[in-house]
Amino acid sequence: MRRKGLYRSVAFLAIAGLIAGACGGDDDSAPADTPEETSEEAESPAEEPAEEPAVEAGDEAEGDVDTAIEEEESAVAYGGSISVGVEAEATGLRPWEDTCSSPCYNMMIAVFDKLVEMDVNGNYVPYLAESLTSNEDFTVWTMTLRSDVTFHNGVELSAQSISDMFPIQQAGAAGSSAIAAANLVSVEATGDLEVTYTLSEGGSAFPATLSRAPVGMVFEPAAAADSEGFSMAPVGTGPFVIDARDLDNETTFVRNDEYWGTDPDGNALPYLDSISFRPIPDEGTRLDALLSGTVNAMQTLRQGTIRDARNARDDDGADITLYEFQGNNVGGGMYNVLVPPFDDVRVRRALTHMNSQEQVIEALGGTGISLPGTQWFSPDSPWWSEKVAEAWPKFDFDGGVAILTEYVNDPERSDGKAVGEPIDVELSCPPDPTLIASMQVVEQLYTASGLVNVTMTNYDQQTHIGIALGGENGFVGNHQQHCWRWSSDDDPSVNLNPALAPPTAEIAEAIGLPGVVSPLNFSNWFSPTAFQAAVAATKTDDFATRYGLYESIMLEFADQVPVYYSGHTATAIGVESNILGLNSWHVPSGDLGIGFPNAEGRWAEVFIDS
Amino acid sequence: MASLWLVLVVFGAIYAKLDTSWFGGALPLQDPNFQTNGFIRETGEFGTGQPIEGMSGAHWLGTDAIARDTFARIVHGGWVSLVVVVVSATCGIVIGGFLGSLVGFVRGRTETVVMATVDVILAFPALVLLLALVSIFEVRNLFVISAVIGVLSIPAYTRVARANSLAVSSREFVTAARAIGTKPRRILFREVIPNVLPTLLAYTMVAAAFVVVVEGSLSFLGLSVQLPTPTWGNMINQARRDIKINVAQVIWPSLALTLTVLSLNQVGDFFQQRREVRGSNL
Repeated sequence: MRRKGLYRSVAFLAIAGLIAGACGGDDDSAPADTPEETSEEAESPAEEPAEEPAVEAGDEAEGDVDTAIEEEESAVAYGGSISVGVEAEATGLRPWEDTCSSPCYNMMIAVFDKLVEMDVNGNYVPYLAESLTSNEDFTVWTMTLRSDVTFHNGVELSAQSISDMFPIQQAGAAGSSAIAAANLVSVEATGDLEVTYTLSEGGSAFPATLSRAPVGMVFEPAAAADSEGFSMAPVGTGPFVIDARDLDNETTFVRNDEYWGTDPDGNALPYLDSISFRPIPDEGTRLDALLSGTVNAMQTLRQGTIRDARNARDDDGADITLYEFQGNNVGGGMYNVLVPPFDDVRVRRALTHMNSQEQVIEALGGTGISLPGTQWFSPDSPWWSEKVAEAWPKFDFDGGVAILTEYVNDPERSDGKAVGEPIDVELSCPPDPTLIASMQVVEQLYTASGLVNVTMTNYDQQTHIGIALGGENGFVGNHQQHCWRWSSDDDPSVNLNPALAPPTAEIAEAIGLPGVVSPLNFSNWFSPTAFQAAVAATKTDDFATRYGLYESIMLEFADQVPVYYSGHTATAIGVESNILGLNSWHVPSGDLGIGFPNAEGRWAEVFIDS
Repeated sequence: MASLWLVLVVFGAIYAKLDTSWFGGALPLQDPNFQTNGFIRETGEFGTGQPIEGMSGAHWLGTDAIARDTFARIVHGGWVSLVVVVVSATCGIVIGGFLGSLVGFVRGRTETVVMATVDVILAFPALVLLLALVSIFEVRNLFVISAVIGVLSIPAYTRVARANSLAVSSREFVTAARAIGTKPRRILFREVIPNVLPTLLAYTMVAAAFVVVVEGSLSFLGLSVQLPTPTWGNMINQARRDIKINVAQVIWPSLALTLTVLSLNQVGDFFQQRREVRGSNL
């Protein structure tokens, strides 16, 4: 009974991720350990490696181009204003309601603080919280808040504020999903500054929930009564206060003179007088805006733009600094394993062998920028495994042809075609030029084998997701080989558990878990061992144990190949070179923070070098 | 010059189609989908072609993001435009022309119903309506795209045909035909339609320019024929990512599109002037 309950919890997690997945973007925050006691003195998972460290997880890989997170040497300076070009207008500025992607988080983080943040080593550490501890089975988490923190409207932050946020979060589109995913059932003020979170099922990754916007960003609950109004005039405890919001044009925040945060030297934050965000959807125009001085900073999640920005800096002498980041998020796609011929692992393995990552990355414009993916973790992630990297099927055209020939000549082949007939593959990506180029590279490779008839399709993002979701056919989906992105810098459980849960009611029924269906298992691949490993990993905070479980899952991926990879997603924030501090912000303990994952900056410690 | 360009486009498109369909690529024009840096099974190695290359002897207009010959793709891209133009003109002239001629001749309730329907269809922004219709089809091949654009071309032709049919129907020779007891059907087919047709043919050139732009827009948005079929619109879309590295890859297909539209308008104007067609008729 208990195990069944655990599995059900994963199903909730699956539903929770739906909206984020539908947006095709990542949530905020990043990877790493989920220790039982997350305190300012918490040790890094990288410092607690697996018992048999056959890996150098956490190290920068050869060719990785991440900008270093390091202390800023220049003397900080107060004053000045900057404008940031972002790729889209924020869907809204209500953490509990609006499902955000990178541009939105850039704005939100200016006005809201998170309870928990991630430090440079990948640990979840207290931020607006002062401490966070759990009981033994991770069902009750006790958090103590910082004292003397006030909201922008002058209201003092208290445990009751956090408790009052809970019903609002429960009713919000983003909040309700996150709450269900975390099995969070109550939030009580058990002291002036003490908050107790109770979970229906223990989860060692709960601090990750408090590091993400829907539950972790702190807003003034009374002000949130007017939900629409709040979106235009958000009230948080963050370093900046909303000044003006002109939708699709500019949103401006000014310095919060009452901000609680200081830098390690005790200087009050933030340094800037104001910061504004301007949505500039076109990649080229946004870069040009930076180069021409129309904006002082810009973000991008496109490799081609990073390449162009590098060229502008290196070849044209543009006076800009690029803060590049490449996290766990990895491009590629999936095979629908419930649809012949992809139900046969030989086909999946053969197609993956015939798919040249190098060529695809070049077509994506990512040569020298994007690292080839072999798993859901980048080489500098503590969860990365060399064993998995070695096990992943590499480009081997002849090997792939040999495997596919075996399938094609099998009288019992699953697609019902005659022996010797080529297989049919529908390859589909959204109509982005880079994806279209990469798709055509794959098509050329498959066609060269003479064993594959390829049809290429491309639908808008929403349709593309809908086809894979397959709401009308019991979540089997109507896709075959489908472009997709995998993973994020959150705790591995956030992405893996929904992707490994039973994909259909029939499968759930067959394994004795009726009703436990994950619409987010898009490839429809189900392995009881992988699923059990994913669930087990949420029941312990021992890094070595969790590492081993996630490694076993990734090894099974390498063996069964339900998904395939191109390169890790490179992101960047470009700034005028006199704008400093983006890679040197700190958590309250004085340690460096995670930096700028997914082109999401933390702007409190940014300053203009005079 | 305009006529010459159109002849070149049509000749190139037909030549390219013959090359791929009948001669298996034996004619001296590169395969528009061949990736010169792609995998060569015989050698087990990748080709030495370069993506986003400038103009060279091997690739007159350079190569695109996956090292395909841009010149070949532009020539082949003309085929899609040509087919769409021919289908839309045929649909427009045959169906729209007949409907317009008919209602302009018979008038009455038939005219009210038909023209009200035409007005409703024309009231929708053409591209939006087209996007909606095209999105319905999961498989978007040349037949589907041509058919959809063809159907949407009918109302405009109907309106032009009706305007001319009204004028022709009040002419002396039609009155005379009626007076001597000629059957209406005979008047329609022998007197009205033959006199409306030249105007419709002149209008076809102007409409064709619009159709080329519409198809280009659909291609740019990824809603025209499926990949890897080259069209000028999808070439522009795919090249825009690399515009800072090689702007020519955007310019060449844009130029082909622009010159074609300009030429169609020029030739259309010429014919319209010959027929003394006035915009007010529309």
